[in-house]
Amino acid sequence: MLIQVLISGLVIGCVYGLIALGYSLIYKASGLMSFAQGDMLTLGAFLGYMFYGQLKLPFVVSLVCVMLCMFGLGQLLERGIIRVLLKNNVLPVYIVLATIAISYIIQNAAMMIWGTQTLTFPPIFGSSLVELFGVKVQPEAIFCIIMSVICMLFLHVFMKYTRFGTAMRAAAMDPTAARACGINTSFSTGVTWGLSAGVAALGGMLLGPIYGVFTMLGAIIGRKGFSSAVIGGFGNMYGAMLGGILLGLIETGTSAYVSSAYKDMISYSILLIFLFVKPTGIFNEQAITE
Amino acid sequence: MLKVNDVTLRFGGLTAVNHVSLELKEGTINGLIGPNGAGKTTFFNLISGVYTPNEGEVIFNGIKLNGKKCYEINRIGMSRTYQIINLFKKMSVVENVMVGLHPKLKSGFFSAIARTGSQKKEEEAAREKAYEWLDFVGLRSKALDPAGSLSYGEQRLLEIVRGLASNPKLILLDEPAAGMNSKEKEELDVILRKIQKLGVTILMIEHDMKLMMGITDYIFVLNYGKKLAEGTPVEIQNNPDVIAAYLGED
Repeated sequence: MLIQVLISGLVIGCVYGLIALGYSLIYKASGLMSFAQGDMLTLGAFLGYMFYGQLKLPFVVSLVCVMLCMFGLGQLLERGIIRVLLKNNVLPVYIVLATIAISYIIQNAAMMIWGTQTLTFPPIFGSSLVELFGVKVQPEAIFCIIMSVICMLFLHVFMKYTRFGTAMRAAAMDPTAARACGINTSFSTGVTWGLSAGVAALGGMLLGPIYGVFTMLGAIIGRKGFSSAVIGGFGNMYGAMLGGILLGLIETGTSAYVSSAYKDMISYSILLIFLFVKPTGIFNEQAITE
Repeated sequence: MLKVNDVTLRFGGLTAVNHVSLELKEGTINGLIGPNGAGKTTFFNLISGVYTPNEGEVIFNGIKLNGKKCYEINRIGMSRTYQIINLFKKMSVVENVMVGLHPKLKSGFFSAIARTGSQKKEEEAAREKAYEWLDFVGLRSKALDPAGSLSYGEQRLLEIVRGLASNPKLILLDEPAAGMNSKEKEELDVILRKIQKLGVTILMIEHDMKLMMGITDYIFVLNYGKKLAEGTPVEIQNNPDVIAAYLGED
């Protein structure tokens, strides 16, 4: 039982982590929160269903297509809506509200296009289960964990060791100084929103085969991803992933050993405790106080 | 190389820069002085693209800068530092210089994602170059420390070298000696001369008159947004208008 709990906890935790990553990236780059992150995951899952399930493209090709589409959509949101609102000096709180509006619009549009039932995402590795430490698990679950970790490592290398990532961090840390160093900060902000959407869509593609695809798939995950980002240290990439995994494990553990009826109560209580005791999160991210 | 033609900048009813003209000669060290509130930093912001003048024009190496964005102006070959140090404090010292190198590098977003071979090679070369720049100001031994942990004087030097990393033709220094002790000021003096030897023109704001008079080729004086005088350090020191403006301030 423990192994099974661990695996399913890691699966959902990694996806929370991917969503949390997006929240943190966006917060760092724009000082805003985008509550459409969860719906980016939903859209990613639906697009994945379309490319992989309906158009029968190979999984890797579908994955690349979905992430590129969502990368574009994320940038479009930033350029077409967020940037315009910022330029018009709309209060940041209202811009956050705008992202909530976008979230509902996406949910509704997805319902119009794909309907209200849960669609079955065709399996990636056939329908047989694999055995791991003596328990049978869905191969997609293992795939989800591995891909999330790869994505995280990839982003780490990209942000830390490439000049583009360094420029993005610089632009997020101090836009004025970054511009004086020849960095086009509005371009890098757009790319950040695109990356966040792409990463969320990856989460959708990974979760689709396990949970099925439906319009509210990302809604709850989005909220939990936000909580994960806060627990890990809002604005910190590594904290986001760790916070996500932690929340996933706590939640799954509660369902398994206590009762699934208490799972949200307990995980959100933990969020509240963090807010009281350590608002800077596990990674002690000072972004909030600065 | 830099030609400022009769620029005026207004904020509402306030005229911050009032019909100022000046011209810098290539390879010289120039000073910009004036009492507090004379509009020196505003004037820097005007040249570097933070503000666009209401009237007049700024021409840099034959290119008109009016309306160009800060990052575009940096790419044309003008760097600057700030009165309030503006480093990426959580990044390491060497990373700060690498950000400065940014406009010189070619590979774009997608080659960074794909980590292509040429991109990796360029990344390596950039790091190498960044270390060379750290040698230039004697900060190599602190390359991996967070920029925020450096002393005030060292942070000033780091900001200067970050500005130099993009190989500018002109660098604007806003009070580079502020907060430095006398030993650091002597080092700064040497470094400024080394920058001049690289062929980089300097325009600096500085309140330390000993440093200023010793190192500059030419000085411009601003007062209440207007140009009060210009000339060699000796001429400025003996200019009755300048003396009056400084004494009047106190």
